[in-house]
Amino acid sequence: MRVLVVEDEKKTASFIRKALQDEGFAVDACHNGNDALALADATPFDAIVLDIMLPGRDGLSVLRRLREAKNATPVLLLSARGEVDERVEGLNTGADDYLAKPFALVELVARVRALGRRGAGESKSTVLRVADLTLDTVTRQARRGRTTFELTAREYRLLEFLMRSAGRICGRMAILEKVWDYDFDPGSNLVDVYIKRLREKIDAGFEPKLFHTVRGVGYLMKAAP
Amino acid sequence: MTIRRRLTIWYAVVLAISLLLISWATYEEFAEQSEHGHRAEAGENALDEVGEIIFRVGLPAVVLGMAGGWWLTRRALQPLAELTRAAKGIDERTLDRLLPRSGNGDELDELAGVLNAMQARLNDSFRQIREFTLHASHELKTPLTVMHGELETALRDNNLPPLERDRILSQLDELRRLSKIVDGLTLLTQADTGHVKLKMAPVRLDELTRDIHDDTVILAELAGVKVQLTACEELSVMGNAHRLRQLLLNLADNAVKYNEPGGSIAMSLRRSGETAEYAIANTGPGIAVDILPRVFDRFFRGDPAHGSEVEGCGLGLSIAQWIATAHGGTIQIESTPSRLTTVTLRLPALRPVTG
Repeated sequence: MRVLVVEDEKKTASFIRKALQDEGFAVDACHNGNDALALADATPFDAIVLDIMLPGRDGLSVLRRLREAKNATPVLLLSARGEVDERVEGLNTGADDYLAKPFALVELVARVRALGRRGAGESKSTVLRVADLTLDTVTRQARRGRTTFELTAREYRLLEFLMRSAGRICGRMAILEKVWDYDFDPGSNLVDVYIKRLREKIDAGFEPKLFHTVRGVGYLMKAAP
Repeated sequence: MTIRRRLTIWYAVVLAISLLLISWATYEEFAEQSEHGHRAEAGENALDEVGEIIFRVGLPAVVLGMAGGWWLTRRALQPLAELTRAAKGIDERTLDRLLPRSGNGDELDELAGVLNAMQARLNDSFRQIREFTLHASHELKTPLTVMHGELETALRDNNLPPLERDRILSQLDELRRLSKIVDGLTLLTQADTGHVKLKMAPVRLDELTRDIHDDTVILAELAGVKVQLTACEELSVMGNAHRLRQLLLNLADNAVKYNEPGGSIAMSLRRSGETAEYAIANTGPGIAVDILPRVFDRFFRGDPAHGSEVEGCGLGLSIAQWIATAHGGTIQIESTPSRLTTVTLRLPALRPVTG
């Protein structure tokens, strides 16, 4: 998968590039809007990470030009402002996702990966599976072996989100956004508390353990330790 | 023309009229007498005549003078009253509203001009401070992003000694806190400068309350606190669902944080006429009366002895208050120390849908 990173701040560009490369992506980077347009025209990318604040032509204008030129490459916008209006404007202009600075790298990597996958089409199966745990997204039934679990609406959404991203780290912000619809950090340990409850229900008394904490970053679900 | 000159001229005119009236009446009286030729009697009656003149003309002249004086003072002070009224309506948000000027160049007009100039300087300073904070919070985000990214990159190294790893994790925690403060500050300064426009739509406040209640139950469980939803009437408000959720969650979060083990929280949502009244009450140490009015201040922390162990950014209630105000509502805190603290949010309710 080939990713274009457009970010004028050299240090930020450099660690984004490094993180994406570590994940096995091929990364090109440039530092202003006009270079970005030239590169995007010349090379078919699988995803573009685009900073809004750029010298000269800004990110939204780059995005607009791309979409006008019928370039449908998935775009993840980065912004220094966690501003709802700007997010809406970005998404209306044709961005596929939005991340406010300061962000966690795992968050960025996870979203870029999700963007790349979007083109390939997501799994249509209605039953999600991680090791011996299954979750039926139609009946909303979670089952492990012969045991079924009672889940509240929120627990279900959290479990579904984690299982859909099984094997990958989910950042706290991504969880808050996708499961709670929060675009702010509520400051409380809501996520941790809910994960703890899911663990008590689903992991207690079972092997292997499926919920794993990535300290300081977030959570992931997988069968192997 | 200056007020002093105007007053002098007008008063001179009033005096002149009174004097003319008296002189004219005296002249008429004496002229009448000499015509009738009662010269002999004139001597005895002269005093009476003067008394009569004073009574018949002097008194009305005095009354006229007083009325004129009253009218003059009122006229002269009228612009001052208007100035006072206009000045009362100005606070730090409406500093760009100028005082009205009569334009006639008198002392009051000059005063209004001087006040306007002072206000412009104040407005400038306020704007500069706001812009400074806004820029500062923006500028801080880039280095924060860089630091976060580099620490995370360092964490990816699998050969990292555990001690080093712990140190980096603790720094990441602090960075997260710092980011939260910067986010809150950005939001508040953007609100101050009028950069935040909330998209409003009808919001089912009862559904939101139930949702927040469910989250609060879970949050409170860890702290050994019981949560009750005592009332939840069906009602809607015109508002921004995201921000209202943020507001309610912030209040709930405080109710859990500033509680005590074995304590309780009671939430309720009621309609009171045209108002939606949401109240959340919690047990716990409470807030002392003397600091109660300051809890909405930015970065204000209560009693350091109690507050220090509670993590927070010190902006939560300021943001809550801004959200309430932006919805045309109010937020109010009452507290009986070591008994009950109640926060009441009042928002204009939408009329219930009938039929």
